Amino acid sequence: MLSRAVLSTVATAAPCVKNAALLGPGVLQATRIFHTGQPSQAPVPPLPEYGGKVRHGLIPEEFFQFLYPKTGVTGPYVLGTGLILYFLSKEIYVVTPETISAVSTIGLLVYVVKKYGASIGEFADKLNEQKIAQLEEAKQASMKYIQDAINLEKSQQALVQKRHYLFDVQRNNIAMALEVTYRDRLHRVYREVKNRLDYQIAVQNMMRRKEQEHMINWVEKHVVQSISAQQE
Amino acid sequence: MASVVPMKEKKLMDVKIGELPKWILMRDFTPKGIAGAFQRGYYRYYNKYVNVKKGSVAGVSMVLAAYVLFNYCCSYKELKHERRRKYH
Repeated sequence: MLSRAVLSTVATAAPCVKNAALLGPGVLQATRIFHTGQPSQAPVPPLPEYGGKVRHGLIPEEFFQFLYPKTGVTGPYVLGTGLILYFLSKEIYVVTPETISAVSTIGLLVYVVKKYGASIGEFADKLNEQKIAQLEEAKQASMKYIQDAINLEKSQQALVQKRHYLFDVQRNNIAMALEVTYRDRLHRVYREVKNRLDYQIAVQNMMRRKEQEHMINWVEKHVVQSISAQQE
Repeated sequence: MASVVPMKEKKLMDVKIGELPKWILMRDFTPKGIAGAFQRGYYRYYNKYVNVKKGSVAGVSMVLAAYVLFNYCCSYKELKHERRRKYH
């Protein structure tokens, strides 16, 4: 990518510089494309349960089947016996002290395999099963986790449909608050107006009372004055 | 009825005895071909006897037996002197 940018800048900045040797490797690097094919989507075939059948741990079963049509069941054994006798008699196999050690070693190995082979196989199978169970557990846990995430997402998406409840509640609250302030102010207006009207009434009452008292006082004073004038 | 399978793709078991030299000469003897042949042989044996769920001792024992035979053949020249009789 960088080489392509460099190429473009070089081409635009100095069009007269046509140094093909300099630009060659850069062009090759920039245009090579990898991984164009489709990856194979076929599932991996499972491991076979048992291996190829082998008789006596040494000779594959196919050899016995190969000789069966011509020689029957005993053919390969007769062949084996004949070969062994031939090798011994012609001394193609030489009997040395090593033969005795080989025979005892092989006898010991055969005894161990016959006695403990099955239990070792079961032990190995158990180890394998533990490994597979662990992996299976990990897979199940991962699947469960992802499933929970999907469910959470779905429930949250469902919640989106119920958003209008939230907005309705908010709208109701706002309407109620507006109504409350309106009534509050209405009440205040009423109170203020009543206050002013009460003031006027109180003023009038007071004026009347004052006038009455003044008139009473004035009448009393004049009556007392006339009485006192009469008494003289 | 002539066989329609071309010579190049026949397996060894299908080749007739008379055609054997021709078939052998047709194989790929470049270093890459020989390496490929060893790789194929190894994987054929491995996938048949070792890479299974319930493998047995046969997978290993056949290799060891072949190794024993190979060593015996290689050291036959020295063993010839330990024969009990000279003429058989």
